[in-house]
Amino acid sequence: MAISNREPAPVAGWTPGRLGRVAWPYLLLLPTVALLFVFTLYPLIQGLWMSLFTRGIVVVPQVESTHPVFVGFDNFLHLLDDKNFTTSLFKTIGFVVVAVPLQLAVSLGLAVLLAPQTRFYAFVRTIVFFPSMISMLIIGVIWAWLFGRNSGLINYVLSLFGIEGVPWLENEVLAQIAVVIVWVWGGAGFNMMILVAGLTSIPKDLYEAAAIDNTSKWRQFTHITLPLLQPSIMVVVVLGIIEAFKVYELVVSLTTGGPGRATVYLIQNIYETAFRTVNQAGMAAAQSAVLFVILMVLTILQLRFARKRP
Amino acid sequence: MTKTNTIGRSIAVGAVLLLFALPPIWLLLSSLKSQAEIFQWPPSLWPQQPTLQSYIDTFSRANFLQYFQNSAVVSVLSALLSVTISVMAGYALAKFRFKGDTFFFLLIMSALMVPLQIVLIPVFLVLRDLGLLNTLAGVIIAPAATPSGVFLMRQYIVSIPDSLLEAARIDRTPEWRILLRIVVPLALPAIGTLLAFNLVWRWNDYLWPFLIITEQQNWTVQLALANSVGRFGIDWPRLLSISVMSVIPMLVIFIALQKTLMNGLMAGAAKE
Repeated sequence: MAISNREPAPVAGWTPGRLGRVAWPYLLLLPTVALLFVFTLYPLIQGLWMSLFTRGIVVVPQVESTHPVFVGFDNFLHLLDDKNFTTSLFKTIGFVVVAVPLQLAVSLGLAVLLAPQTRFYAFVRTIVFFPSMISMLIIGVIWAWLFGRNSGLINYVLSLFGIEGVPWLENEVLAQIAVVIVWVWGGAGFNMMILVAGLTSIPKDLYEAAAIDNTSKWRQFTHITLPLLQPSIMVVVVLGIIEAFKVYELVVSLTTGGPGRATVYLIQNIYETAFRTVNQAGMAAAQSAVLFVILMVLTILQLRFARKRP
Repeated sequence: MTKTNTIGRSIAVGAVLLLFALPPIWLLLSSLKSQAEIFQWPPSLWPQQPTLQSYIDTFSRANFLQYFQNSAVVSVLSALLSVTISVMAGYALAKFRFKGDTFFFLLIMSALMVPLQIVLIPVFLVLRDLGLLNTLAGVIIAPAATPSGVFLMRQYIVSIPDSLLEAARIDRTPEWRILLRIVVPLALPAIGTLLAFNLVWRWNDYLWPFLIITEQQNWTVQLALANSVGRFGIDWPRLLSISVMSVIPMLVIFIALQKTLMNGLMAGAAKE
């Protein structure tokens, strides 16, 4: 960082010009800081505060029944017996545990396969990257259409092999698998690009030296590529975990949480608790607080890893 | 490389192409089929009688043009606002030393830990108190400040030589002119990247409009789309045609700015 506001000589009193120069960086920061405060930091504090009360969304000062009631950490204790919450929390953790490693494996495979710097491979990378430009909502629509029981392309292809009418989105287990597949498909291109950037920064002579020593491709991959790619892999994994905990939009158009509540993950549960049930805003805030702690720990880990990178 | 290796690689690349290109193409092809053909079993791979009927129905029945216009207004204005304030904040953090500079940097970055998903209710209340509920202004202003945008601009502006700014100050150039005439032109590549990213983010965004907009006339395309998906009975022809139309602007941006977007991402990933 540079020292820019250097005064020719120390001036005692405040002149308008000097005041302006001192205030300038603060003025530049004002819009961003104000917006982040109003729409992020203040709501966070208010949300954590709300988690200590039993209340609805709207509080009317004149109507006593809407007044919040302080309950301390009771909401958090109640969360333990709240089946909808615990189920959606475990479903979300399960989703993270399955989807993130799968996405890493897929994007790593894609990156290694499509890394060559030729026009043809650049074109293929473009095609693979394109889903990252589409909203998760539409990705859900595309795949809901592909997964359709009696109208979908996937079941048609399967029927050619004698497998008929797989109820992809009507069966509880298959629907969860479908959400994983679609989530991985939607994010693979983006993560592939991060890994390709990492791959191109690995010096070529390492592979040449290995080839002279007759090292197998697989050993080159595990002994050169993986260790040197580790920083990029960490970025993909940690970003992936954070994104996976927030999985929601995709589900809206793919399964709407069904069948039953099979694909209701945390965010949807928080939203439904807050807006679809009476006087449960405090409980929803407590659920949000739990997710906040999870995400905070993950973000701090991510920043640590990011700082370690050269 | 051995011959089997090359063949194996070609097959793998072919499979990847099919896996990633086919779903969007299938969406497009299906949207061009007639009502009867769309549900035909076995499905026809290529539309036998291509028709724009689904699109015509969508445009005539719903206020689709209105939703499209809302989305366009929201994404363009919000992206411009976001880039403007990110350049300002990024410049302040990159080129000035002042009381609390580290504090403000950490304050802005700490917002990374608070995605909208976990503050839905309080944000809803703030929007209500500010009178922004059910307004496009709310969807434009509320998501505009982004830590990632500030960070990107800061990283880029740091590389602008101080001597240029000092020379301008010796000439008694006003500070706002230094920003507009020196910093902004030199940061144009980063500004372009950030603008492109913001257009994509805002166009594709669902959660903010979902939280803010209640009346149908203010729907964005994504909201119209989400509201066409019900637990019971989906109007597929309508849904497919809306999806295609909402992807087209992204396709255009992607084709036009593909290098900017993909290289920007790679530069960002390499720098982080």
